[in-house]
Parts: sequence; C-alpha cells; structure tokens
Amino acid sequence: MNHPKVSVILPVYNVEKYLKQCMDSIVNQTLKDIEIICVDDGSTDASLSILKEYEKEDDRVKVICQQNAGAGAARNNGLSIATGEYLSFLDSDDFFSLDMLEKSYAQAKKEDADLIVFRSDQYREDLDKIVKVSWTLREKALPPYRPMTHRTFTDNVFKVFVGWAWDKLFKREFVLEHELQFQEQRTSNDLLFVFSAIVLAKRITILDEPLAHQRRNNPNSLSNTREKSWQCFYNALTALKDNLVKFGLYKELEQDYINYGLHFSLWNLDTLTGAKKEVLFDKLKKEWFAALGIANKPKEYFYNKKEFAKFEKIMNQSFQEVYPDAK
Amino acid sequence: MAKVSIIIPTYNVEMYLVECMESVIHQTLKDIEIICINDGSTDGSLEILKSYAQKDDRIVLVDKENGGYGIAMNIGLEKATGEYIGIVEPDDFVKLDMYESLYQIAKDNDLDFVKADFYRFKRTDEDDMNMVYNRLSKNPEDYNKVFNPSEDTEAIRYIMNTWSGIYKKEFIEKHHIRHNETPGASFQDNGFWFQTFIFATRAMIVDKPYYMNRRDNPNSSVHNREKVYCMNIEYDHIRDILMEHPELWERFKGMYWYKKYNNYIGTIRRIGMEYRHEFVERFSAEFKRGLEKKELDPSVFSVAAWKKIQVVAAEPDTFYKVWVVASVTERKLNKKIMQLERKNQKLSNELAMIKSSKSYRIGRILLFIPRKLKEWIKGSK
Repeated sequence: MNHPKVSVILPVYNVEKYLKQCMDSIVNQTLKDIEIICVDDGSTDASLSILKEYEKEDDRVKVICQQNAGAGAARNNGLSIATGEYLSFLDSDDFFSLDMLEKSYAQAKKEDADLIVFRSDQYREDLDKIVKVSWTLREKALPPYRPMTHRTFTDNVFKVFVGWAWDKLFKREFVLEHELQFQEQRTSNDLLFVFSAIVLAKRITILDEPLAHQRRNNPNSLSNTREKSWQCFYNALTALKDNLVKFGLYKELEQDYINYGLHFSLWNLDTLTGAKKEVLFDKLKKEWFAALGIANKPKEYFYNKKEFAKFEKIMNQSFQEVYPDAK
Repeated sequence: MAKVSIIIPTYNVEMYLVECMESVIHQTLKDIEIICINDGSTDGSLEILKSYAQKDDRIVLVDKENGGYGIAMNIGLEKATGEYIGIVEPDDFVKLDMYESLYQIAKDNDLDFVKADFYRFKRTDEDDMNMVYNRLSKNPEDYNKVFNPSEDTEAIRYIMNTWSGIYKKEFIEKHHIRHNETPGASFQDNGFWFQTFIFATRAMIVDKPYYMNRRDNPNSSVHNREKVYCMNIEYDHIRDILMEHPELWERFKGMYWYKKYNNYIGTIRRIGMEYRHEFVERFSAEFKRGLEKKELDPSVFSVAAWKKIQVVAAEPDTFYKVWVVASVTERKLNKKIMQLERKNQKLSNELAMIKSSKSYRIGRILLFIPRKLKEWIKGSK
C-alpha cells in the first residue's frame, strides 16, 4: 500500500461559517500526496454537508462522523484510520498557507524528525488583519543546531512551544510507538498529546516561517466558552504528570512541570469569565495548587517571580481582593 | 583469542601511517589483533594498510565509505575479539612494549581499564622532536593503585583521551560502550571516555608513558559553522547516556558540568573570532538553565571558574567583552611587547658588538682631540 506523505486530521463541529476557507486551504495545498480525514463531531449546522461536497469532489477527502464527543475524541478517531507518514491535526476555524504541508514535510523529512514545529500567526477577525506572534516558537530557548531534544532547550520545556497541535507535524510511526492519544474532553484536549510528544521526541526540528493562521475573536470558538469546561485544564495537567511518570521523565522535568502548572493555572483563572471564576479560584487555593506541587515550594523554585507573587496573593487574599472587577 | 585488539581508525594520514603501523606490528606482545578501519581515505592510506595486511595476518582490514570517526570506531569495537581493546590514532605511534606492559597490569589486577601517561610531540624535521610529558593526574598518589571510577567521580578530572590505555572487551560489551555516530560531528571520543569512567569499577592509571600523541598543528581554528557546536552536541549525547541511569546522573552531574565548562572554554579558543559571540550566547543559555535546575556543583570548580560561570550565565555580553575579546587583545599586545623586547635586545647586542670592535675603539681614539675641542668650544659659549 502506498502511504500518503501527510494525513490531515480535521475535527469539525458547527463551523459552517469558516469551514470553506479552511477546507480550501487544505485541498489546495501544494503538497498533493496527502489524505484529508474530516471528523464531524455531531455538527447541528451545515458543516457535514459542506464536508460531503468536498468528499465528492476530491477523493483524498474522507469524512467520518461521530456523536458529539469533542475534538479530542474526533482526533483519536481520525488518528486510528490515518495512514500518512506524518500527521497534521488542524482546527476547522483556522486557515493555512498553501505551502504549509510541502515546506514542513520537506523539512521534517530532511531531518528525519519525530516532530516539527513551524511558526504561525493570528488572523484577527476584528481587525481583518494578520498579526505576528512570537511566543508560539521561542527560538532563543532552542539550540542553534538540529535536530534537538527537549534536553537542549534552555527554558521551561513546556513553554518553548505551545501545547496545541496545529502548528506541528508528528511522525505517525513515532506516535504509534508511544501510543499517544488526545484527551477526550471539551477543552485543553491537545496539551497531553503535544507535550508528551515534545518530551519523548528524539528528533525535533523547526521551520521558522509563518505557515498557519489562527483565527482569533471568533465568538463561537471553544476557548471563548470555557466556563462550561473550566476544569479541563486541570485534568490535562494531571494527565500530563501521569504520562511523565510513566515515561520515567517526571523527576527530570518536575520543576518545569510545576512552573508550567502555575503558569497555566493562572492563565486559566485570569481569562475565565462568569460565575465559575470564583469556583476555580477556591478550587486552586484549597486543593489544586497543592495537588500540582506548587504549594510549599520556595520562591527560588519559580522561574517567573511575577507568577509566584500572584500565587502568593491568591493564597493570602480573598477572591474579591484579587479580582475586584469580577462579577 | 588475541590478548589485545588494537583499533586504528584511518582517514587520510599517508604521511604518518607507516610510523604508526611499524610501532604496532613490532609490539613485543605478539598475540595481538590489529583492526584497521579505512574510513574512505582519498589519499594513499588504504594502499599502505593493504601492503601491511598482506605481510601480517594479524591485521584485519575494513574498507568503508567515509562516515566519520564515531562510526569507524564502532565498527572496530564490533570486530574486536581480543581480551582487551586498545586504540591508536593513525598519526600517532606507540612504544614497543606498550601493550605487553599494560596487558600484564590489567591481567594482574583484573581491571576494566588501565591508562598510562603519554607524550605529546611535535616534529619539525627528522631529528628535531619536541616531546612534552603529559600526566593523566596532577596527584602522584592517584597512580598505580586500583580505584573505582564509577564511585570516585573525581577521576573525571584526569586528562581526557581514549588511546593511552586498554579496555577489557567484556566490560565494553557489558555496558555497550560505543561512540556517538552523528554524521559530521567531532570529539566523539569524549562520550566513549565518559562512559568508561562512569561504568568501570576496577581501573588503574600508571605513571609510565607509552603513547606518542602528535601535536604538529594543534591550533588550527574552526571556521566552519557546522563544527562550532560539535562539543555541545557531544555533551548533549553524554547527558542522554547519563540520564538513562538516574543514579549515575545524580552522581556525575556535577562533574559533567565541570567537564563541559572546561571544554566550552577550550572551544572559544578553538573557533574563529566570527563565531565566538554566538557561541558565548549558547554557552550562557545552557549554564543559566543548569544553574536554575541546580545541576552545577560549586565545590568542584575553582573560585575563579565559579565566578566566571556566574558572569557567563547572567551577562553573556560582559563575559564576551572581558574574557573573549579582551584576552585576544591582550595576547596580541603581549606578542607585540615580546617582539619589541627581542628587537631591543638585538639592537643592544649589536651596539655592544660595535663598541667592542677594534675599529670603533681606534675611531674613538682618533676622534678624542676634536671631540674634546668641540666640548671646550660648547662650554665656553
């Protein structure tokens, strides 16, 4: 059997407004030898029929359906039937440079990479403009030679790249060898997969060219409706710890993990809106900061002193004192 | 089974190879196996090896495409069948009793490895050989006794080389000690050497030199970007090996950073000026991270070195200005001063010679009266 060079796996859930732009930027990729696995996650809008159109037109497109179970489950479904040499997990409200797969695949192949990370930028819907983003690929924390492993990173290994999957290609053989799976939950379902891959990969390379465009300010985007899934990030963090222990890497990466745990908890708390904000505040303060290993660590354990100060503030003050403007 | 297998990884060394081979085939220990790996030489090296292999059936000749030192050495290690293994670089040579003596010591003490002091030499012409005795350890008490390098981490301070000793084949195989095979890399002996120390439980160093290490051209700078970070890559490799054994990493991480520091300082001198700033930046980032993770052990460093580490980690630009740029300028100035001093010396020698010459003295006598007259006129004005 002839394996396509890349399997694109695209979970789709109620994105009729953006789906055509996304699909066009996939089917028109300059790398032609690909398969496109679209997993409809029980959409209730026209998404599925749009996908069916593409399937009819282009025999590289396969559409599979599942009952609504979230993007994590959809990606695992897609992964289970993928046959490509590399895997690309895209999001259906983003769009991509037409040479994204050609360039990233060529670079990955050249370095025989387990994992390649390329640069991305943001499409700001409110401004109708593409803006640069520096923090998705922090080159200064990488060695000046390739390929590399997480051990050569000179900053927290969980902060050098971002825990989402769409700016990366994963060698399928590598993913299968380590039985990597997405977490099946509403949000933060890719963190476990991506960070596990980063710490396991023996050969990581990068391509410093903006090839993917992330849509921002889409009011329906899941990250904007996180109050329904405010605890997902914590599940992702604890599952990551379990994996690190399983891989025999926890001791080595404990300090990075705990620092990232604080960083990610604070980001989730700061950006959460609505009634759940105070619930999360109390949960972190009473349980999760301790469970994540953050509590009882001396100040010098933390790379980012501002984050540590914020943690202390939360521990010592009330919700109203820390967030006076929250409803 | 041969008593010692001697591995000679060979690449473009036709000028020196005969001297090397002669010293190996004429070893007083006769029961040896000589494994020559021709790593795709483009000069006459292969022909030289072939002619030796024809004459001496103890020689095993492997001819392969060029793939680098690590791969060539690993092929040699796979092929070796002897009880012990030695390594000779094809531009070096050895004393004729080297393997007989070392084998005896290794056997008597049941050693995983034994290493000896050695000479570095420079040869300007046939008769003029400049030799410098190199001691593996500064401490005389370290010699001629069995020690356990897997426990005694201080032994990592001994001078790094893989060729001044022999290793028990069984020991090498038990821990599968091999070289890094990354193509285009250098310093792949560092990883091999590190492994022999972290795994061996019975070792000895002896204070008699047997190995002659050529140093004709030691100071050629690296101007090829690919080679600038070879030491970093080798030390990444060594860390990966150490971390496979968490208890060894815990024990050796302090010495790991110590060796890395010394090698990085050496690298700054080795690479071209154009790469020194970016190298210092990487040096800085790696040590900053190591300090943050508390992997460095201040007690293994000198006070001065520990200070330098703080500076390089916190302020790479200061480090670059004070220890990289300034020391180059300083060296240049010193050279100039020495030249001027030499010139000055030469001139005063010449002056002395002139003054002591007959014609000078006669001239002075002849000119005595007119000179005095001149002084007298001057004085009367």
